Amino acid sequence: MNNLMNQIYPEELEQKNKIQRYLKFYLVPGWRNPEFSRTEYEIGKVTSKRRSFRRILKPLTLSGFIMLIFIAFCAIYAPWLSKFTVEVLTDKGVSGGEPFTPPSLEHPLGTTKYAYDILARLIWGCRTALTFGITTIMIAAAGGIIIGTISAYFGGWIDSLIMRIADLVMIFPALILLILFSQMIGEQLPIILALFGMLSIPPFARLMRSSVFQVKQNLYIEAAETGGAKSFKIMFKHIIPNAISPIIINFFGGVGAAILGFTAIAFLGFGDQNLPDWGTDINFARTKFSQYYAAFWPGLFILIAVLGFMLIGDGLRDALDPRLRVITKRMV
Amino acid sequence: MAKSKNMVFYIIKRILFMIPMLILVLVITFFLSRMMFGDPVLNKLGLLPDPDIIAAERRRVGYDLPLFTQLLIYMKNFFTGDWGTSYIVSEGEPVIQLIGKIFPKTIELVIIPILIIPIIGVKLGVISSKYKDKAKDTIIRGIGILGTCLPVFWLATMLQYFVGHYISIYTYGELNLEIAFPNSISFSQYPNPDWPFSTGFRIFDSILFNDQALLQDTILHLILPMICMIFVSLAGITRQTRASMLEVLEKDYIRTARAKGSLEKTVINKHALRNALIPTSNLIIGGTAARLTGALFLEIVFSYTGMGFFMVSAIRLGDYVLINGILVFTALIILSGTLIADVMYTIIDPRISYR
Repeated sequence: MNNLMNQIYPEELEQKNKIQRYLKFYLVPGWRNPEFSRTEYEIGKVTSKRRSFRRILKPLTLSGFIMLIFIAFCAIYAPWLSKFTVEVLTDKGVSGGEPFTPPSLEHPLGTTKYAYDILARLIWGCRTALTFGITTIMIAAAGGIIIGTISAYFGGWIDSLIMRIADLVMIFPALILLILFSQMIGEQLPIILALFGMLSIPPFARLMRSSVFQVKQNLYIEAAETGGAKSFKIMFKHIIPNAISPIIINFFGGVGAAILGFTAIAFLGFGDQNLPDWGTDINFARTKFSQYYAAFWPGLFILIAVLGFMLIGDGLRDALDPRLRVITKRMV
Repeated sequence: MAKSKNMVFYIIKRILFMIPMLILVLVITFFLSRMMFGDPVLNKLGLLPDPDIIAAERRRVGYDLPLFTQLLIYMKNFFTGDWGTSYIVSEGEPVIQLIGKIFPKTIELVIIPILIIPIIGVKLGVISSKYKDKAKDTIIRGIGILGTCLPVFWLATMLQYFVGHYISIYTYGELNLEIAFPNSISFSQYPNPDWPFSTGFRIFDSILFNDQALLQDTILHLILPMICMIFVSLAGITRQTRASMLEVLEKDYIRTARAKGSLEKTVINKHALRNALIPTSNLIIGGTAARLTGALFLEIVFSYTGMGFFMVSAIRLGDYVLINGILVFTALIILSGTLIADVMYTIIDPRISYR
């Protein structure tokens, strides 16, 4: 065995190119080291170790990752990438420039209403979008896991009660509810985020419920019950880890949908005016047909962010469980 | 025989279940619209009016009563067919009459997408599953993914810009352009007073009473929103059809059908598609119900005064009666949509038993 290994990987070569080879192996889908092809056995051994990783890394998923990394990079290094601060970008009338100017050296993509710099608002908007999307879906997923598990595990009247409540929430268009609430509460961001998260719970709870129903049939649950485990422990230790995969798969698609929803609310003018938001940008420039690029770039950024999340969600679904349905419920 | 009896019982049971749901919906919409923001009376009368005027106005609309008394009055009025009168948006007009006026417009906007989307969506899904991982499949999936990710308001704005800029028959602006067709009285006054009656649907009316300018204008204004709606809504049905077709095509009876020498067309259209459509049908009916509640963003971008447009202006201006009425109407549509979906599901799939 050792001999064979030495034959295939001369030690120096391995030392030299190891990182490069593995990087290529990881990042380039379908890439095969020419030396690997000599012995199928070795290939099988190596690929099997990384099979799940390689299954995820399809070209489409990879492009999704790149888009997401781009958005995350902009979000994290926003203060370095743009020379404007949030105060300048959201204060009405402080910057003193001319609104709706074409691109210039000062403003690479031109300016929009109140003379905000478009590029800077795009970059700072990444922060807003990511925070909105990820926070709300975290709340929604956590609530969905807990409620769905309780509903499916106990069954009976608890189940039907919870499901009726979920039905009731889903009757109203979520977007309209959210607009109403944001009008009621005003511009208190944490409460709006929590509300949006709570309104997105029902689809996740339904998903978790159907998944838990399947897991509940397994013998090990019965064994745990026979062994005298408390229902709390069975739920959180035996059921949830086995039933959680649909939630994980739907998490990314959900974040994409949440970003779309928030930009849509901002587009209608009900968003927080103190934050640089892509939807608000589109709303600013919507009727300025001579300066259409002021509305074009924010939409492109929305598209990139949502597409990145959706592609990753699809890739994960294909890799982990192709039969699962992805619930990307559009609100827009 | 026994089965249809069961079915009738099932439908009756479902309708009875709807009643408590409806009452809950009424209560929730009442509180939502009343707590919407601030005081609609103050909002309407503007800054610094006389306190006496405010009190009188409150008494006139019944806003001075305790909330629960208001709720009871509202419930009583609701079931006797009086949904209140619009407060700010279209002042003094009964809400039910206003909805009767704007709902046909929304239907006109969504009826063609409702008919076209399932046809194209299922067709694309079948093609995509038939040529899995080929070029056709990749293109269709790409369109599907774009459709799910594109923000529809942005797509509509961009389309409006480019079409309005480069195609001369399109102009920016809303329906009823009197400048474009000065000869027709229907633009300034719809329904036209010369007509003996009006159906509320512009297309029907213009065909019935031979008003070609109105017909042309209506159709021209519907094209762009329809294109946007179709493009954005295709994705869900296409993806669902593709997934269920792929699942069905691996079943044993498909192999049997192929082995006995059926044509590939027959295998796909008869054996596979009929089974694959079962999960898709639910999506189609649900989507139809959702679409009937109005295409919010398209109506805003294209200034099309349908349900969504009035919903947003009611929220913006604080018209609590109108938003209440529209929310209840929307909820009614979605409730009956779910009912129809469930009943259809049991008809389409005989394996499902009636609970």
